[in-house]
Amino acid sequence: MKSAFLLLLLFQFSAYAEEEFISTPNLDFAALMNDELISVRDITYTRNRKASFCTRPIEMIDTVVIHHSETSSLTTPEVINQYHLNRGSAADPWYMIAYSYVINTPYIGNTKPLSEVSVGRPLGIVGAHAGSNIYVPMDAVQQQLWSEKKVLCGKEGQPQKYDPSLVRGTSIKANVTTLGIVVNGNYALLSRSNPNGNKPEKTPSSKLTDMFARLSCQLQRQYPRIRNLTFHRKYHSTTCPGSIHYKKHMEAIQKKAQEYGCEFKLLR
Amino acid sequence: MRIQIIAIICLFAISAHAQTDKQQKELFNKYDEVMMYHQVHLVDEVFTENFLKEHGGKEEFIQKVKSLPLEKRKKGLGALFQKWKKSKVGKFLTAKRKEKGIETEFIVKEEDGKYKIDGTISDG
Repeated sequence: MKSAFLLLLLFQFSAYAEEEFISTPNLDFAALMNDELISVRDITYTRNRKASFCTRPIEMIDTVVIHHSETSSLTTPEVINQYHLNRGSAADPWYMIAYSYVINTPYIGNTKPLSEVSVGRPLGIVGAHAGSNIYVPMDAVQQQLWSEKKVLCGKEGQPQKYDPSLVRGTSIKANVTTLGIVVNGNYALLSRSNPNGNKPEKTPSSKLTDMFARLSCQLQRQYPRIRNLTFHRKYHSTTCPGSIHYKKHMEAIQKKAQEYGCEFKLLR
Repeated sequence: MRIQIIAIICLFAISAHAQTDKQQKELFNKYDEVMMYHQVHLVDEVFTENFLKEHGGKEEFIQKVKSLPLEKRKKGLGALFQKWKKSKVGKFLTAKRKEKGIETEFIVKEEDGKYKIDGTISDG
């Protein structure tokens, strides 16, 4: 009896260790965009197969949401992915990194890390960056796509299902209609709850402003319905993305995108 | 016999859990001593070498801490805590704290056999 119990435990452990996390490329999901304005590095992320996620037509997305990671500026996208894999509960873990794109660039006056944009969660998968219970109004196209049951949820390798909890009336969870771009770094003020912060707080470099603008504009060129620009703390109480959310910095990104031929509405 | 084995396993698990709770409480008590009451002699016990290095070294970070307001001693901070969680991918733990509606998620790593804070990560 004891041996059978131990064997069962061993089997469960090995099954759990093998199946839960995988790092093979998943070619089903639309990921990359062409690199006319900016190059984007591809990364094959470790994903949690036991996690549920939702897929969406990219036409559902109309808003870019800017974040900072709050970590060191030297943090890599792969490490952010590890942190996010540790989130959620045993019953409802996170699937992978919450953001769609990750920017690395030095603070003003620094030389490291190398400036680079990497992919995050594929655009065809709903992110996890704009709060779990924040609803935003849908426009006519989004309502149409929703009524056609184009947004579906489930686990890898299983049939995706319609989830009515994503919608309340004509509003939908913000994560469904947005994509998150995060810059690795901490642009908020040093405080007891933000030991990684600085005093005065770091401000976005012209390079960072340009990278946000190029990436957002490239996305709009490929997916013209992406027309709005905003920041994380618009959705709920958070220090993210620190000083980047100040009007002058957001307007600088908007103006830079305009120079590249793209028009964004700033949502404040 | 089976019941006795199960009881021993349960006692062991409870004891290990209690030890972890104690370690978490100690670390964050020291963290508050540093950040609120400027007990900067504890900096090495609270933060990892990597964290201090990224802030320009221990002395530089101490100066940053001293720029924070020195708070009056108070009983019970009222901060809500979610117990720290060991990672399944990568070697770290995360611990959450909520104050005045804002949630902080700490990254904790083991260094020289002790748990120390390696930074925080945004709730996004």
